[in-house]
Amino acid sequence: MPRIFINGHPVEAEKGQTVLQAALAHGFFIPYFCWHPALSVSGNCRICAVEVEGEDLDIACNMPVREGMRVLTDSEAVQAWRKRMMQFITLNHPVDCGICDKAGECTLQDYHYEYNGEPSVSREPKVHATKFFRLSARVLIDNERCILCSRCVRFTHEVSRSRALGIQNRADSSLVRASEDGRFEDDPYSDNVIDLCPVGALFSPSLLYRHRVWYLQATPSVCPGCARGCTVRIWHRRPDWALHALDGRQNEAIARVTPRENPAVNGPWICNKGRDLARIFERPRATQAMLKGEPVALGTAVDAARRLLEGARRPVALVSNWGSNEELEAFQRALGGRVRAFVKEDFSPAPGEPVEDDLLIRADKNPNTAAARALFGDAPPAFEDGTDLLLVWGEGLDFSRLPTRVPIICLNAYLQPENGHADVFLPVSVQTERAGHYTNFQGVVSAFEPCFAKRDSVAHAESLFAALASPPGPSP
Amino acid sequence: MSGGKLITGFAVTATSHTLGEYRARGGYQALERALLGMKPEEVTGEITASGLQGRGGAAFPVGRKWSVIRPDDGETHYLCANADEGEPGTFKDRWVLENAPHLLLEAMLIASYALGVRHSFVYIRGEFDLAYRRLAGAVEEAYGAGLFGKDIFGSGFSCDVFVVRGAGSYVCGEASALITSIEGKKGYPRNRPPRLTVRGLYQKPTVINNVETLANIPWIIAHGAQAYRTFGTTKSPGTRLVSVSGHVTRPGVYEVEHGYPVGRFIHEDCGGVLGGRALKAVIPGGISTKVLTASEIEPHRLGHFGDCEDRRVLPQSAGIPHLEPLVFEGESLQAAGSSLGSGGMIVIAEGTCMVRVLQVMLRFYHHESCGQCTPCREGMGWLHRIVDRIVSGRGRPEDVDRLYEISRANDGTTICGLGDAAGYATVGILDKFRCEFEYFIAHGRSRYDGCLECLGSS
Ligand SMILES: Cc1cc2nc3c(=O)[nH]c(=O)nc-3n(C[C@H](O)[C@H](O)[C@H](O)COP(=O)(O)O)c2cc1C
Ligand code: SF4
Ligand code: SF4
Ligand code: FES
Repeated sequence: MPRIFINGHPVEAEKGQTVLQAALAHGFFIPYFCWHPALSVSGNCRICAVEVEGEDLDIACNMPVREGMRVLTDSEAVQAWRKRMMQFITLNHPVDCGICDKAGECTLQDYHYEYNGEPSVSREPKVHATKFFRLSARVLIDNERCILCSRCVRFTHEVSRSRALGIQNRADSSLVRASEDGRFEDDPYSDNVIDLCPVGALFSPSLLYRHRVWYLQATPSVCPGCARGCTVRIWHRRPDWALHALDGRQNEAIARVTPRENPAVNGPWICNKGRDLARIFERPRATQAMLKGEPVALGTAVDAARRLLEGARRPVALVSNWGSNEELEAFQRALGGRVRAFVKEDFSPAPGEPVEDDLLIRADKNPNTAAARALFGDAPPAFEDGTDLLLVWGEGLDFSRLPTRVPIICLNAYLQPENGHADVFLPVSVQTERAGHYTNFQGVVSAFEPCFAKRDSVAHAESLFAALASPPGPSP
Repeated sequence: MSGGKLITGFAVTATSHTLGEYRARGGYQALERALLGMKPEEVTGEITASGLQGRGGAAFPVGRKWSVIRPDDGETHYLCANADEGEPGTFKDRWVLENAPHLLLEAMLIASYALGVRHSFVYIRGEFDLAYRRLAGAVEEAYGAGLFGKDIFGSGFSCDVFVVRGAGSYVCGEASALITSIEGKKGYPRNRPPRLTVRGLYQKPTVINNVETLANIPWIIAHGAQAYRTFGTTKSPGTRLVSVSGHVTRPGVYEVEHGYPVGRFIHEDCGGVLGGRALKAVIPGGISTKVLTASEIEPHRLGHFGDCEDRRVLPQSAGIPHLEPLVFEGESLQAAGSSLGSGGMIVIAEGTCMVRVLQVMLRFYHHESCGQCTPCREGMGWLHRIVDRIVSGRGRPEDVDRLYEISRANDGTTICGLGDAAGYATVGILDKFRCEFEYFIAHGRSRYDGCLECLGSS
């Protein structure tokens, strides 16, 4: 454990650490653009300089700690160095923060105010480069904003391993480009480069010009896209900045999804499916309770379901592996003793979807199979003779494969044709409308919180199960 | 004449580069001597004792570099000969490659033996054509004669050589970029640490030496370090290949013994300044070394700054005044604030516009900056654009100070030496010829336009 001194304070660094790592670990901030804890050291942005007493200045991200070294992170020489680097970095930068999606969470913006704060000293015309250049259908680049930190390039070489990005040309004509064989298009982790980019050079057409990040709120959540259960942040309009004049649906829409760093599950990354949770949660919703396809009040439907359950002698339930731990336990508590329950796979890999890899993506495309199987076993659904009631929770089930002439109670959140065929249909909430936990394939439990309010005509499955088990009477 | 000849001491003919003639001159005897009569450490010891310094630009002691490698530590080691020779004004390695390719190959075998290298590489500048063909031919000849491959001279030592052609990038001559290029990646220099002798090519300990540096080795092994030290000076032993170009009567490659006066070399050996004009300045060792004025080269004749009639501005970073004539020796040039660099000497005659000289140099650095690190990527273009603007007649009074600032902001802040060197070169010219810039800015034209005939200059 080498002991070093940072700004005069003794610090126990770890062997093999760099000065930057040791400083950050002990609460001394050193600015950095190109360094990233999960990528190799490229040491090319040159902003992280520190002074070691008695030596020349050098970059901290590539400086191994040495016993007894005395590091200054904010000496006059260091400040002068940083200011010069900031001048260089912004020399050909368009400084178009006013129309840049990254504004508000841009490292360059922050550092400019912190370490330079002055107008450009250059009178030369800026170097121009391509804007809105398509690296893939999902990622665009503004090469004028790019500060060539090479994080995105290293990500595709070291993490996603598509090796799809590189830098063409030299000097101030350098351009980040995707390889021409379309590997970036097929990189299932490509959108991580947007988060990695310390400036607004890389951006998603799905967010472009739609939101200013300071009007957004990030709700901790878990991606239900596969059994990895990556922890994410779901970004949506802050309630205190709710839109009144424009399209009100914007207030209940997912603006974007970003990773929530979690060493136990996904590290700092998620796959592109996790970015597209809106495509899952914002499908047309089922909001109307029904009896054999006829709209009824929610309470009426619940009563009908209750009666069916009470009268059934051999009911079978197909339990959703998209249910949260809480919902699954509520089901078990309320109905587990009376109903023969099987775990149903709500989703299987979609055509063209990456099935499995050695980074994050798992073949099981459901978030909570582990918890569901722990409660209800892993036998495939089987319908003995004499089955006289089916409770189907969740989606992804072809009703034609069910025994005929057996009444069906169906719980689903989305508008799907099967809903109308059920004897009783109960619309339920989705993950973004409630809190809960999922257990991933490794047994790690992660929590999610509600982003939006649930509609009154929709029930939380968790409270529904208790209501179904209680004797018929007033609705829940 | 400019002293003893250790590398060029034979008559160049149409066949003097062949294996037969090289052997007739005593070639590959040093290799035999090393392989059969010396231990690897003894070879390194001899090189260390000779005081041989690198000729690629930094004058790093070869023995010190080699001593980091433990030839018998069981690790894979690599040797790369740096034949990229990209420094403007420098073309002395080409002479070795074209006229004595076997000298390089013999040296690489000796060095490989000393360093425990099984596979060695030559990284040769892509633009070299004859040099490449001669080298490739020599490799064929050497393999044919059993000089490469397994069990050379029955010594049990085996070594192979690979010739890798560059693709025309200056920065790939920088040792770590060269390695990266050999690995098949874009030629970006690497940060140190780790040093290349610790983790170099394919992450293995690697020694990189300039072609001329290596070309000295067979002589040292054949004759011994003591004999080598009788050439040159105590601090800079041996000789040095100097490639001379510019406004000079007899441009070409010369072998000059260390200690030889620079002024005498230009005026006598090279036949003086072209067209009999006065000497204005000399870039001593490739454009990355600081320019020297005529009076710095021959202060004993011209007096210090004596020739600067209307150039009498005290330089901002003047070297230590010295009235000794400048000689080919690291220390002498260092005292004058410059260095021997890569031995690429550019002679500049009176009447040359130094603003345009700087413009040409900055165009080069701007074009060749790899673009990896911030100060060089942005600074080279910035410097270039400012000087371009001055030359187009739209200079501003603050430009000179800005050029200084940008140059200094590259000093010690970059990954490799390119950004630093461009800064030194710029500061060198500004220090000594600031008034030319001020004139150009004030009048919108060069002080030399229409004043002097520039015979033969291009
Ligand atoms: C930008 C740059 C370009 C260089 N180009 C060359 C070159 O073309 N040839 C060369 O021998 N050394 C070149 N060098 C120096 C090498 O990095 C290295 O120091 C040298 O090859 C080591 O050999 P030596 O110790 O035998 O001189 C260059 C250095 C820099 C910073
Ligand atoms: S696009 Fe962004 S992440 Fe990629 S090199 Fe440029 S600034 Fe860095
Ligand atoms: S100094 Fe210039 S050439 Fe060297 S690594 Fe930096 S950008 Fe590349
Ligand atoms: S963070 Fe150290 S050089 Fe970029």
